[in-house]
Amino acid sequence: MALFSKKKKKRVVVIGIDGVPYTFIRKHIDSGDFPNFKALLEKGDFRRMNSVMPCISSVAWSSYMTGCNPAKHNIYGFIDRKPNPFDMFIPTSVNMKAPTLWQILSENKLRVVVINVPVTYPPKEVNGVLIADFLATDLRKAVYPQSVFDKLDSIGYRIDVDAWAGRKDKDKFLEDINYTIDKRIETAYWLFESQKWDFFQLHIMSTDRINHFLWEEYEADDPKYAPQFLAFYKKIDSFLGEMEKKVSENSEFIVLSDHGFCSIKKEVFTNYWLEKEGYLKFSKEKRSGLKDMSPETKVYSLIPGRFFVNLKGREQFGSVEPGAEYEKVRDELIEKLPTMTDPETGNKIIRRVYKREEIYSGPHFEQAADIIADPQNGYDLKANLNQDQLALKGSLEGMHTYDDASLYIRSRQIIGDSLWIADLMPTILHLLGVNIPEHVDGKVAV
Amino acid sequence: MGKGFTVWFTGLSGSGKTAISKFVEKEILKQGREVEVLDGDVVRTHISKGLGFSKEDRDAHISRLGWLASRFSHYGVPVITAAISPYKDIRNNCRQMITSAGGIMVEVYCECDLDTLIKRDVKGLYKKAIAGEIKNFTGVSDPYEAPDNPEVVCDTAKETVEESAQKVIDKLYELGCLKKEGETEEPYSEAEKKEIDKRLEALGYL
Ligand SMILES: Nc1ncnc2c1ncn2[C@@H]1O[C@H](COP(=O)(O)OP(=O)(O)OP(=O)(O)O)[C@@H](O)[C@H]1O
Ligand SMILES: [Mg+2]
Repeated sequence: MALFSKKKKKRVVVIGIDGVPYTFIRKHIDSGDFPNFKALLEKGDFRRMNSVMPCISSVAWSSYMTGCNPAKHNIYGFIDRKPNPFDMFIPTSVNMKAPTLWQILSENKLRVVVINVPVTYPPKEVNGVLIADFLATDLRKAVYPQSVFDKLDSIGYRIDVDAWAGRKDKDKFLEDINYTIDKRIETAYWLFESQKWDFFQLHIMSTDRINHFLWEEYEADDPKYAPQFLAFYKKIDSFLGEMEKKVSENSEFIVLSDHGFCSIKKEVFTNYWLEKEGYLKFSKEKRSGLKDMSPETKVYSLIPGRFFVNLKGREQFGSVEPGAEYEKVRDELIEKLPTMTDPETGNKIIRRVYKREEIYSGPHFEQAADIIADPQNGYDLKANLNQDQLALKGSLEGMHTYDDASLYIRSRQIIGDSLWIADLMPTILHLLGVNIPEHVDGKVAV
Repeated sequence: MGKGFTVWFTGLSGSGKTAISKFVEKEILKQGREVEVLDGDVVRTHISKGLGFSKEDRDAHISRLGWLASRFSHYGVPVITAAISPYKDIRNNCRQMITSAGGIMVEVYCECDLDTLIKRDVKGLYKKAIAGEIKNFTGVSDPYEAPDNPEVVCDTAKETVEESAQKVIDKLYELGCLKKEGETEEPYSEAEKKEIDKRLEALGYL
């Protein structure tokens, strides 16, 4: 009896489209450019979603896969610092402190296929297949299990596009990005068909890449590059349509992006500002990195808008006393940062400044920046040293925005009025009938 | 792969450099890392062969040690050097070489008074030096410049070898040269790190 009454097993497919704004998709659905997406809307719910602070792919996808705020998963950016001895490092899956969606599914004996999701390198063991993200340098080390490497190699799978080409040679960049997405899709189909899985996720990074380097051409309707930009997105649209058809009706089909995009008016150098305001000091001639800063430093910053107080007892050469002095420095910053203006236009650069306790809570809270600044759209906060001006227009064209991520779920109504990216992990566990761990911050959104 | 570092012992002959280094070497190996030990006496029979004990020759000998250590550091291999290395400025040059190659320099000063050293006289050299049979003998007839800011000071006249070694080992953990169990492991080699830095820089993510 049981054999016949057994329902077909529920499965979930997730397609991540990195950095594709909700408003952008809406606009091109309306103008008829994305017929497949349009068809999806008729079958499901599509909503604008919030990212996480700071809205960087590594932080956002970490919150996605753990359902947690950064103080629980410990990933605060693509670059971070160890306070003592002072050192810079690149956070990877090694630093991820909360269990991931695929770890939990694996423990529940469900099989997973996970392709290219940020901060999955080095790959951890899963019940299934995992191909790590662009934080990998060598494909051989980016795959779990090792046995899938040969096939990927024969496909010609590429971990990421060459972003330097994006700055220097747009034609070469477009060729690269089209090749990379084709191979990624080919790989996805191969795994989709050849593996047993309950949870399947493909992450498309190329959307973020093309936005970084061609967003201005797109907005300006450049005669040469705007059509190529749109052609790339139409390719993504067709892929979504094709993929959706492959996902049987009683399975779930989810598409999401992790943040929005807007064009960059100026890159703004927060460490330049800190130096001018007397918070950041270098004693030696050498200033090749923050490690050369002088012990007199009171505050230093990391990208994007993460300000660290040089706190005694925490930082290697701390100079600010914990307690009253620390709070005084933070209050000063909260007062002064919003007065930062674009020297050319007089426009305000900072939208809002947060104390870390306002936006983070969890066991890895101590690793967080003391102050987090959220910029106005168009002002991309950078932490480069050795700049001779506060703000300039460089070769990067697009920057991330917080409130314009997107979420699509087929055959479902998306609920909740403060939807954010951490809601996905509990939502997916719920859809697969797996218990949601108590520590999770996100809420089930269906 | 972990970060490269150099444990740089300095101190008079018989002050305990070799003895302490043996314990430190063991601890590094225990952590599953490789380690290159460059003992002054041994290096003098190879790349420093033919060099004597004039200031010039000593400086050349120590610079070679420092350069070698910096190369190992660049590739993330821990190094221990155990040579008298009496001159401050040359030791500082070596520190410069090692840190600019991406390594951490951990200077260990083996401090010991002359009376104790003469009493120990492990190699019988002090006796000869005092009798004038060895010229340019550090601490007797040649200068020794103690470091101003060593990472570790071992008072070997008072401490046991084990106690001194423990101080060095504790410092290695404190500085992140060695990782305690459960502590995160560095996922990149130096070369891979450069590649990733370049990629993130192009994206404007650094
Ligand atoms: N705390 C201590 N640390 C190191 N050695 C000690 C200590 N206490 C006593 N000793 C003894 O002192 C002697 C130090 O000799 P060792 O060969 O290590 O000196 P060295 O600094 O390497 O001299 P050289 O420069 O001539 O090679 C050993 O016999 C060791 O047992
Ligand atoms: Mg010795």
